[in-house]
Amino acid sequence: MARAFAAPVLSERLYAARWCYVFMLPSFGLAILFTFWPIAASWYFSLLDWSGFSDERPYIGLANYVELIGDPYFWQAFGRSFLFMAVTVPVRLTLALIVAIVLNDAALRLAPLFRTLFFLPVVTTSAIVGLLMVFVLSPFNGPVNQALVASGLVGRPIDFLGDPATALYTVMGVSVWKQFGVSMVYWLAALQTVPPEQLDAARVDGAGRWDLLRYITLPHLRPFAIVIVLITAVSALRVFDLVQTMTGGGPFFASEVMEVYIYRNAFSVQGGTPRLGYASAAGVLFGLTVMLIALTQARALRWARQARGDAGLRQ
Amino acid sequence: MRMMKRRDFVIGAGAVAAAAALAACTSAPPAPAAPPTQTPPPNQAAKPTGAGPTAAPAGAAATGGGLTLPNSGAKLPTEPLTLRWADNAGLKAIFFKDFLPAYQKVHPNITVAYDGLPLPELAKVVPLGIQNGNAPDVFELPTGFTGAQAVQQGWAQSLDDFIPNFAQWKASYPPGIFVNGNNVFGGKTYSFPFVSNKKNNALLLYNVEYLKQAEIDPASRPLTWDEFRAAAKKLTQQGAGKYYGFLTAAGEPGRMAMLIRFLAQMAGAVGGDMNWKTGEYNYATDQYVAAVDLLLAMKADGSIFPGSASLNALQADDQIPLGAAAMMINGSYMIPKWRTEAPAFVWDYASQPVPDGKTFSPLTYSPGGSVWWLYAKSKYPEVAGDMLGYLGSEVGQTAVQQAISGAQPSVFAKANQAAGIDPLARKAAALYEQQMRLAPSPNVRNPAIAEVDSELKPLTPDFGAVVQGLFTGQLTDPSKALTDLKDRADKELDRGIKAAQAKGAKVAREDYVFANWDPTKDFLEADYR
Repeated sequence: MARAFAAPVLSERLYAARWCYVFMLPSFGLAILFTFWPIAASWYFSLLDWSGFSDERPYIGLANYVELIGDPYFWQAFGRSFLFMAVTVPVRLTLALIVAIVLNDAALRLAPLFRTLFFLPVVTTSAIVGLLMVFVLSPFNGPVNQALVASGLVGRPIDFLGDPATALYTVMGVSVWKQFGVSMVYWLAALQTVPPEQLDAARVDGAGRWDLLRYITLPHLRPFAIVIVLITAVSALRVFDLVQTMTGGGPFFASEVMEVYIYRNAFSVQGGTPRLGYASAAGVLFGLTVMLIALTQARALRWARQARGDAGLRQ
Repeated sequence: MRMMKRRDFVIGAGAVAAAAALAACTSAPPAPAAPPTQTPPPNQAAKPTGAGPTAAPAGAAATGGGLTLPNSGAKLPTEPLTLRWADNAGLKAIFFKDFLPAYQKVHPNITVAYDGLPLPELAKVVPLGIQNGNAPDVFELPTGFTGAQAVQQGWAQSLDDFIPNFAQWKASYPPGIFVNGNNVFGGKTYSFPFVSNKKNNALLLYNVEYLKQAEIDPASRPLTWDEFRAAAKKLTQQGAGKYYGFLTAAGEPGRMAMLIRFLAQMAGAVGGDMNWKTGEYNYATDQYVAAVDLLLAMKADGSIFPGSASLNALQADDQIPLGAAAMMINGSYMIPKWRTEAPAFVWDYASQPVPDGKTFSPLTYSPGGSVWWLYAKSKYPEVAGDMLGYLGSEVGQTAVQQAISGAQPSVFAKANQAAGIDPLARKAAALYEQQMRLAPSPNVRNPAIAEVDSELKPLTPDFGAVVQGLFTGQLTDPSKALTDLKDRADKELDRGIKAAQAKGAKVAREDYVFANWDPTKDFLEADYR
């Protein structure tokens, strides 16, 4: 009798959900092949002194990690990746929020058109955007410089991607433009959760637009904001294609973010042999950092759910 | 094919690759002993008859159809097959537009899947293919890898058994092309050059109209460095924002390295990055520092194309026919491309500037030469051998020269006399002939140097990056930066030698010293003794 009320044993539960596991198998297999195996392999490679395709791959323990810690170019690239994140995330999210609030206004009839236009760059391949921007920003015949010179704002064209002072920030600007649509969609989704009856009630009570935003919309968005910030932060660390096509990390490492640093050491050395083992060690360290952020994200997500529950918000 | 032991392979390491590796990994004491040699002004001896600024000559870029292939007599498979071929395209791809259809017409059962790839792509495709056991049947090695490594690791197999009438084929070459440690290992031949090593990217290339308007004549004698700087300034003023005096691919560190290396070498830094007389790196010499100073002075004058720092080599090349700049220092490889894409553009070549406009020390080139390697696991080595045999024959090389308008010279003198060679290509070849000498090679002297090459780790920043950093102002003191580079390169070379010694290789820093080297003369086989 007692057994009848006890939770089913593991084997029974597995059997009951057997079709779920069967359907999971293909994606699990792919994940093993293309995600888990490469991650595990990079841990192993990071302990080798290996070019990537010679037969010789001596085990050197943590020597790659020790060398990395003393490599100023590693730390500079590390810093640039986080600078990229620190600059682009607030700019992108703030602008996207403003636009989302405007486009969320039901009175705006062309909102769907603008939403599509803002989202278009997102579905364009980053490498293509990067190559295109090289031409757009060209100091010789690029339209941006032609406009700047013609308007008298500058006397001489600006080498946006060749000047160490502007190269990284130019890529950041393009990244914000390219990814802006994703953040806008996140915000639009979050805005749908603001109860319209609360807004209506506030309007009846005489609240203005700013009051509605300040006292009703933004508090409702707060739990979403945490998640959106963290998702955006992680995506801002994955900008290899854009940086590689626009600057290749140059000039003189001025825009070399971690992914480009890893690529340079693993595949793109000039003189000497590539260092896949060393690059793998850099990848592992960087991956651990990103993982920390992801864990923070998971924790924040839990907190956000709890906050939403506490606030009694609709699902 | 007899399998060679690794040690056998090691005893035969690549000279060209060694020079390249050295170029990236060494440094030298200040002011090398060898003074600039007294030589007549380069341009005076470099004027072939009838060469001059011209638009495209009739038939200079003739491509397509009409290629007749001789019957090699090779016994080839008759079943349908696909041969995979991957290289860095460029001039090779121009010839292949004619060659591949012609070959497939003669052999209808054979399809050649040709991938002309940029170097970064090649650096992924070839290693991954080798790792997976399915590399292209014929491939070009990515930058940073030597033929010695390819043979030592068992990636490549020799051509001896697959090129039809091999002994006769090999004997048709002029002396000095097949070099142990470069393209010959353990007595077997593994590769051959597509074009001669006797070429460079160190010619002054100029827009004839712009320079004529500014009354600047670099053709009668080389410009001095001061004249060059003044000319760039004058041309920039003349361009009034529409064009600039000088353009360089400062976004590509390798090109920056080349620019400074060639300027410094002709100014007296003999041997280029390494002074073979002393075995010391030249980076910190007065000539290297002065060459960087010249570049920075021109930048400060506002004479350099403002977007140079974000241009790679291909982009920079494309700007010249568009009229973006009056002068650049480069080679002759773009002749067919420009003739086709910008037929109205008129340009010319002259010697690059030398400090006093009169004396110069020669540029160097490496012995041997290689481009394609036959994959050790190729299923169709006899087909690859048949094609390679033609490409490396005098007949094939003549066809190549016609297809590429002679943009880079062949090792076969007769091929260089082919009809349809562009007059500018002849002029460039004459300058190469006059200004270049065969350098010694530590790999040829001691093939075990390949072990050192395998040990060398890339320098960060390397020479090209240092020059780029100085150009953009991220590094501020040329002398200090170049001395630091020399120190790091010395340290890395010494470490590489020690590591190779620890593995049993009999190598020493003395292998890089050629006390009997005269930079004004070719360093021939007898000189190694």
